[in-house]
Amino acid sequence: MLQIKHVSKIYGEGATKVVALNNVSLQVNKGDFIAVMGPSGSGKSTLLNIIGGLDCLSSGEVILEGKRIDNLDENDLVSIRRGKIAYVFQQYHLLPSLSALENVLLPLTFCGASKERDKAADMLKKVGLEKRAEHKPSELSGGEQQRVAIARALVNEPSLILADEPTGNMDQKTGGQILHLFDELNKDGHTIIMVTHDTEIARHAEEMIVLQDGQIIDRINRERRGE
Amino acid sequence: MKLYQIVAKDILRRKKRVIYSALGVVVGTMTVIGILTIALAGEARIYNQLEKYGPNLTVIPAISNVDMRLGDLSLGTLAVGENYISENHLTDIRQIADGEIRQALGIQDNVNIATIAPKLYINTEVNGISVIIVGIDPPEENKIKTWWRIREGKYLDRGDQALVGVVAAELLGLKVGDKVTLSSNDTTVSGILDESGSIDDFQIFVPLVTLQKAFGKEGLISSIDVRALCSACPVEVIADGINRNIPGVRAVAVKQVVAAEMGMMDRVNKLMLALAGITLAVGLFGVVNTMMASVNERINDIGIMRAVGASRNQIIKIFIYEAIIVGIVGGIFGYVAGTLLAYIVAPLLFEGTVITFIPQYLPLSLALATLIAVTATVYPAFRATRIKVADSFRSL
Repeated sequence: MLQIKHVSKIYGEGATKVVALNNVSLQVNKGDFIAVMGPSGSGKSTLLNIIGGLDCLSSGEVILEGKRIDNLDENDLVSIRRGKIAYVFQQYHLLPSLSALENVLLPLTFCGASKERDKAADMLKKVGLEKRAEHKPSELSGGEQQRVAIARALVNEPSLILADEPTGNMDQKTGGQILHLFDELNKDGHTIIMVTHDTEIARHAEEMIVLQDGQIIDRINRERRGE
Repeated sequence: MKLYQIVAKDILRRKKRVIYSALGVVVGTMTVIGILTIALAGEARIYNQLEKYGPNLTVIPAISNVDMRLGDLSLGTLAVGENYISENHLTDIRQIADGEIRQALGIQDNVNIATIAPKLYINTEVNGISVIIVGIDPPEENKIKTWWRIREGKYLDRGDQALVGVVAAELLGLKVGDKVTLSSNDTTVSGILDESGSIDDFQIFVPLVTLQKAFGKEGLISSIDVRALCSACPVEVIADGINRNIPGVRAVAVKQVVAAEMGMMDRVNKLMLALAGITLAVGLFGVVNTMMASVNERINDIGIMRAVGASRNQIIKIFIYEAIIVGIVGGIFGYVAGTLLAYIVAPLLFEGTVITFIPQYLPLSLALATLIAVTATVYPAFRATRIKVADSFRSL
């Protein structure tokens, strides 16, 4: 469903030039759960941002469901964000003035969808937070905030979920619960690309992709891991 | 959930910031509303006095009066030598005045409409002090001088009575019942006028006929005040008619004299509005600044909203909704503060102005404040949506 062909990303020019991604190619199939690994500065997040259209690439192609999305204008990107791709961030990125339920509602609000409240409530239930619906993000724990963020990502029924270090701000136990949630989502048929620097976390994925200095240096699937 | 609900919740969270933004708007609208209120009150005051006091036009001998002018400013007229109008013209003047009013208002009957008050001024000595005696038609004069109040005694009702201005009474030592000798004729003081702050305070009023007889001026008058008690009365037309048809007199519409004062006010108002405009511009910069800061501190929120599917237009709309709320809050406070400003400043500019809330300035204030707030918001909001979503998170 997703093809990344010879993608490069270069920041700055001349002496300050930084190559964040160097000719990266990748194929992701429907239902895949892929972990992108690598030390910090290896280009993991940049890759994720480029796939999701949050950042633009310097060269190469990104093809989602048969359509190029790397050269879209803002309006087309908006429609991709409204249905095809959803994000889960390390810092949760919830709006502080809205309750948990309202944060989940947000994508539907921007779409102008109807019967939205029921759907948002369902999603909160799915992540086990139906009792915290009216709480503001500041009144929720890190794990709870991330669950809200995951519910928000799911509410538009995206074909692809991009997660950037979703457990990076959590202790092991809470992080484990969140990862379990991702496992569940993957079992339900969601395609997930998750960035992490932690091998343990990456084990949840079917396939690990190791990035270093902007290049894929290794791909490890479950068979190779001996699982 | 609707966009405006997102805005409302966000504003409730950031009350202080929103109030701070509104302050700039308040300062701008306050100045404009304050100045407009002062200007309106100043004009109303002049029109009020015009309505309330005195004649709509004055008829004077044509050749004996010299207009005293200083540039555009009328300083009144200066009478040179002894010149009179024949009493016979009174009927002609009444015909012209009533005729024009009838025509203008479509009145059919023949009742007298305009008040026509002839006057004869004689400068003489009473009790050894030089004083101006004014011969008047008592009932007509009473209709014109609506502000006259009798302090002691009664108004004139017989030929041998005199009405004395309060200052004149004091200077000449006159009391009700005292004798005033005009040439060789005696009159009795029937009443003393209350202070009016006008020239009337210094004068003695006697019936016209009495004065004419005493000084041998039978059939002569110095001036005629004409007053038509309606705002739609064609004063200029009446003045024109008198000037064209009656030789030897000149009719001057008092409005023309007032026009000079109005012209002066107009120029002052324009100057003040220019100052208000500058204040508005300075206020606008202030609001642009706070709005810029307000947008910048929410770059992250903007990134979140765009990452979950908000379009650029929706983001700009969110900021415009916020600006409209800032505008409405600022407009209401600007309106109240502007009126208060006028209340404090107006008495320093024009004595006796009355400042009230002017309801039709409230929508103006709201519109102005909203315009300022929206104008100040559009650019920062537009710029914020040009940032790449990934960069808006990175800026943290």
